[in-house]
Amino acid sequence: MRVLLRTLSPLLGLALAAVGAIGVIEVVTAWVRPASSGLVVPWPAWQLVLSELTWSDRPVIVVSICVAVVGLLLLLVALLARRHDVALTAPTPEMTVATSPQVLARLVGRTVRESDDVAAATVSASARTVVVRAEGWPDPDGGFRGLTDTVRGRVSALLDELPLARRPRVAVSTRGRKEPR
Amino acid sequence: MSTTDVQADAPTTGTAAPPRRVLRGSRRAVARSARVDRIWLALLGFVLLAAGTLAALLGYGVFGAGRAARPLLDPLIVDALRAQQQLWRWVAIAVGVVLVVLGLWWAVRSLRPERRPDLLLDGSTDSTLLVTAGAVAGAVGDRAAALPGVGRARARMVGSTGTPALRLTVWVTDEADVADVCRRLETEVVAEARRALGLAHLPVAVRLELDSVTQAPRVA
Repeated sequence: MRVLLRTLSPLLGLALAAVGAIGVIEVVTAWVRPASSGLVVPWPAWQLVLSELTWSDRPVIVVSICVAVVGLLLLLVALLARRHDVALTAPTPEMTVATSPQVLARLVGRTVRESDDVAAATVSASARTVVVRAEGWPDPDGGFRGLTDTVRGRVSALLDELPLARRPRVAVSTRGRKEPR
Repeated sequence: MSTTDVQADAPTTGTAAPPRRVLRGSRRAVARSARVDRIWLALLGFVLLAAGTLAALLGYGVFGAGRAARPLLDPLIVDALRAQQQLWRWVAIAVGVVLVVLGLWWAVRSLRPERRPDLLLDGSTDSTLLVTAGAVAGAVGDRAAALPGVGRARARMVGSTGTPALRLTVWVTDEADVADVCRRLETEVVAEARRALGLAHLPVAVRLELDSVTQAPRVA
């Protein structure tokens, strides 16, 4: 999202400047030469079209909805482009330590996969939650309590080791694997 | 002037709490701020969303069937504009100029590279002692990369000349004790840099990354 934000910002800035410049040029041209039909924009033709179209015409409604959707998308990009860093405890107040959720997820994933009970695992992490989906073999009674406890224990031990400023909530889900161990 | 001279002249580091600007500086140094871009984009998005929604509602007759049947370029509005033509021309020109200035400012601000302030250690009339941002970053980066548990490190100066800060990206190895790496970065790298540069405070933002993906053996 931040890449999109960085790309959109200069483009929209230039677009705004272009709209302003064209507006000034057209107003000054119409002022100096009232008989002209527009220097860049054919505004007399546009004026004619706009005076014939009504608000309830289909093209107007379609364009309105498109404008609203574009606005919503821009708003979403602006809201979602914040940093999602995971804060760590710094040794001094003059230092700020952070890492990315991807790094935390990779650390958790690596720790979980090291267990012999886990055949595969996918991890998603944020500063608040760590979600582990582990695949393994069921207990003799057919349940997955053992696998869940193993995964949860390993993740907890890792989170204890890491100097996280806020301990994330851990959610573990397990799935059986049909192949023999 | 040698480094020793600078140390003697500089304010003592002591144990006093760092000023608030130093604390803010370390938080700001984590990454380049995108706050202004986000605010402008949100503002533009909100305006477009509101305008599009209102126009669509108007078209669907929510505000009355009579209003929905009126032309986009309403004769009432055209007459009102023509009645004060001179005034509205100036208004249109002013709005256009404001859009040009704001648009160009936004574009230039977005494209401008992040500042890398040099450190002015002595700016007296007859001599100037300046440490370039690249020199500080290189020295600190090399020193950090030599720490145990650190695969590689990259440093850069950020902020302004008046309130410089250090951004340190550290790639830790699989065996690294993250807390110990952070402690060593402060005591062995940053504190040393502060001492060498004669700075009482230097806000630091550390970003931790994993050095490489290594698969742990599944079978012993």
